[in-house]
Amino acid sequence: MFTQKNNILVRDVMMSLDRVPVIGESVIFKEALEEMGRKRLGIACVVSEQKRLKGILTDGDIRRMLLRVQKPFSAFFVDDALDHAIQSPLTIEPAHTLVHAVRLMDEKHIWDLPVVDGAGVLVGLLHLHPAVEALLGIED
Amino acid sequence: MVKKILEVGYGSVEKVQIGDRLPLVFIGGPCAIETRGHAFKMADEIGKICRRVGISWIYKSCFDKDCRSSPDSFHGIGMHEGLRVLSDVRDEFGVPVVSDFSDPAWGKATGEVCDMVQVPAYLCRQTSMLRAAAQTGRPIHLKKGQFMSPWNMKNSVRKIEAAGNHQVLLADRGTFFGYNMLVNDMTCFPIMAATGYPVCFDATHSIQLPTSMGNISGGQRQFIPHLVRAAVACGVNALFMEAHDDPDNALSDANTVLNLRYLENILGQAKIVHEMRLELLDKFGEDNVHPEK
Repeated sequence: MFTQKNNILVRDVMMSLDRVPVIGESVIFKEALEEMGRKRLGIACVVSEQKRLKGILTDGDIRRMLLRVQKPFSAFFVDDALDHAIQSPLTIEPAHTLVHAVRLMDEKHIWDLPVVDGAGVLVGLLHLHPAVEALLGIED
Repeated sequence: MVKKILEVGYGSVEKVQIGDRLPLVFIGGPCAIETRGHAFKMADEIGKICRRVGISWIYKSCFDKDCRSSPDSFHGIGMHEGLRVLSDVRDEFGVPVVSDFSDPAWGKATGEVCDMVQVPAYLCRQTSMLRAAAQTGRPIHLKKGQFMSPWNMKNSVRKIEAAGNHQVLLADRGTFFGYNMLVNDMTCFPIMAATGYPVCFDATHSIQLPTSMGNISGGQRQFIPHLVRAAVACGVNALFMEAHDDPDNALSDANTVLNLRYLENILGQAKIVHEMRLELLDKFGEDNVHPEK
C-alpha cells in the first residue's frame, strides 16, 4: 500500500532549470527543437531576458502544427519559436502542494507544469513522472 | 512586432525617414561613379525630378564594382576618389548618399562619408561584411541575395543586430530562376517586413538577366514599370532604381539602368500607388488573412 504524501511541495520535486529546455524569445524554432532533443523533454519554455515565462512549446502542439503549417520547412525552422508557442500557459508556484499540482495536471491532461515565482519568473519545471514517484514514495 | 523607422542623413543633408506608413522614398543614381562631372549632373537632374514628383530621395552610386562579369569591364574609380565625389555631392546638393562596399576593410571609410551603406546581394550573408556594415553605425541597405530565401534574410539581420546595429533596409533585387534569369517573388516583401525592418524594391536589378550575354548581363527594362507598381502595391517603403542619362554608354549595368527620360513617369506612378496603398490601410486596416484559419 502506498500512502499519499500531502506535505510535499512543488519546489521539493520540480526539475531545476539546467535540466529543462529553456530558450530566449528570439531563438528560432529549429534551435528550440534541438534543445528539446538534448534535454529529452517534450516541452520547451520560452523566457524573456528577465527570465519571465513568455510561452511554452510542447510535443503535442508541434505535432498538430506540422499538420497545419503551410510553408516550406526552411521558413518554418527560422520562425521565432515564440511565434508558435502557447502564450499564457498554465503554471504553478513553488510553494503549492504537489497534490494540488498533480490534480491540476490530471484535470488538464498535461505532463508538465512550468513553475514560476510571484513575478512570473521561471524557476523550474514540474514533470509528471517524478511528481507521481514522489507522491508514491518511490525513490530514484 | 515593432515596425522600425530608419533615418538616413547626418550633418547638413536632408534627413530621409523610411518605414511604416511614411511616404515612399526613392534611392537611385548611376550604378557606378563615372566622373565627378557626371555624378554632379546626375545628382542635379535626379534631384529636380524628385522635387517635381514630390518624393524624398537618397543618391546612390558606387566606387567599386567587384561583381562585374568580365575582368575587362569597368571596375570603378576607386574608394578614395569615389568617396570624395560622394562627399562633394552631399555638400553641393544636400542629398544623403549611399554606396555599397565589397570588402570589409572598406566599411569604415564608406561609413564615414556615406549616410547609408549598402551590402551587395552576393555578399548578403558574409559575416565579416555584415559586421563591417554594422560597425559603421549607419543605416544599412541590405540586398537579398538572388540565391537567398526571404525568410533566411533574418539570419543576416541577426548578424547585424549582434554587431550592435538596428537600422536595416531589406531589399529584393530578384531571385534566380534557373540560369541567367531572375524572377520577383512578391511574397518576399511581407516575409522580410516581418523582421520589423522596412523593405525596398530594387527594380532595375530585378529585370537583369545575369551574365546572359556571355561576359556581361542583359536586362528587360520594359518590365520595370510593371514590377514597380506591383512591388509598391505590396507595401514596400522604398524604391531603388539605377538611372543614367545615356544608358548605351553607361560604364556599368548598361543593359539595366533606367534612362533618365523615364524616371519622372515611373516615380510619379510609384508615388500614387504608394499613396493608394496607405489609403487602403486607413480604410481596411492591415492585411489580416490568417495562414491556417
